[in-house]
Amino acid sequence: MIETRDLHKHFGRLHVLKGVSVQINQGEVICVIGPSGSGKSTFLRCLNFLEEPTSGQIFIDGQEITNKNETDINKVRAEVGMVFQQFNLFPHMNVLDNICLAPVKVRKLPRAEAEERAYALLKKVGLLDKAKAFPDQLSGGQQQRVAIARALAMQPKVMLFDEPTSALDPEMIKEVLDVMKDLGREGMTMVVVTHEMGFAREVADRVLFMDDGMILEENSPSEIFTSPANERTKMFLSKIL
Amino acid sequence: MGYVWSWQVIVQSFPMLLAGAGLTIRLTCIAVSMGILIGTFFGIGRVAKNALIFSLSSIYVNFIRGTPLLVQLYLVYFGIPALIGIPIPPLLAAYITMSVNSGAYVAEIVRAGIQSISRGQMEAARSLGMTYGQAMLHVILPQTFKRIIPPLGNEFIALLKDSSIVSVIALEELVRKGYLISGRTFRSFEIWTAVAFMFLFMTLPITQLVNYTERKLKKGD
Repeated sequence: MIETRDLHKHFGRLHVLKGVSVQINQGEVICVIGPSGSGKSTFLRCLNFLEEPTSGQIFIDGQEITNKNETDINKVRAEVGMVFQQFNLFPHMNVLDNICLAPVKVRKLPRAEAEERAYALLKKVGLLDKAKAFPDQLSGGQQQRVAIARALAMQPKVMLFDEPTSALDPEMIKEVLDVMKDLGREGMTMVVVTHEMGFAREVADRVLFMDDGMILEENSPSEIFTSPANERTKMFLSKIL
Repeated sequence: MGYVWSWQVIVQSFPMLLAGAGLTIRLTCIAVSMGILIGTFFGIGRVAKNALIFSLSSIYVNFIRGTPLLVQLYLVYFGIPALIGIPIPPLLAAYITMSVNSGAYVAEIVRAGIQSISRGQMEAARSLGMTYGQAMLHVILPQTFKRIIPPLGNEFIALLKDSSIVSVIALEELVRKGYLISGRTFRSFEIWTAVAFMFLFMTLPITQLVNYTERKLKKGD
């Protein structure tokens, strides 16, 4: 589904990704954990080219998106949903318009069909009554669930989550994680950068531990949380668990 | 000081002054409308990644903002006709100069407005598969325009006052009218006081409107 080969990313003189190679299969839920500044978010953002990798290859569905001549990045992004830490809902549109915009403009879906899809998704994330609300009228948790619905409206093949609960008040984290759990159970391929170890343990098929721009360890959650092999994984987990 | 204030001269010259103010408003409205069109275009150019578009936009903005409006007017009214051999009527010269001038200032307002929208908005739009143009059109610019209403109001006021410069090419807007009337009646004090207050009557409502929208937008953010 997704494969990266020897991904490197430099920001000026800063070497953020130092050769990340990973394979993610259809239907897998991958959680990426690691300390701040370890390159987790940069890695995730490379997967839909919000950051352009300095070198290395990315394949999505067998297509090499790092080959710029042959890939229309907009088409690829339409298949890769992304949820941000700061939600990034469009504040000048109500919830329904937020969700319908891309399906109508990018997928050229008729408005009525897009709305039908939007309502179904709002029901799924438990916000059917908020269709006409504006983002600033919603709590953080509600905004993030709308953001998930907005990404799903494009019917992506993969969903990327960039610390989706880090900006939320504690009591709202669960409602967002529950939506994500459902998604995982339904077979959505997901890559989740997160500090929610409980979520990783419960939902992830595989956990990647990143530090200093590299994947230092990858294993099933039960293995990585109970008997981490790498010293730095041990240190990291001992600090947060 | 044996000066006796004469209301009569103001009353008598009022219709002429009003006609002058009419031209002032017309000039300003057209220049600002064109300025918004031009300025949006070049404001987007000023945030473009394409080096050529960025450079051209920057040259335009810097040239206009770095030279006096009076010189720009002379360049259009005297300079260009000398070059192409076709005279440009004063009114057209005024429209062109003021629109192009306003465009540069609006471009900077638009650029600042676009850059004030959080980066996440563009990223969210692009991550949904929208092109740069679609993201600009549907996500960034609508938010930008809401945010730049106050500075655009200020630009309108500035241009309304600066439009008096076209009096030098004999266009009879408010200042030129004042000049003509005071030359004929020798009642400079009354006439220029009247002209000043007429400008004030035009700018004050806009100032109020700008303050009002500023307060409203603060609540909205």
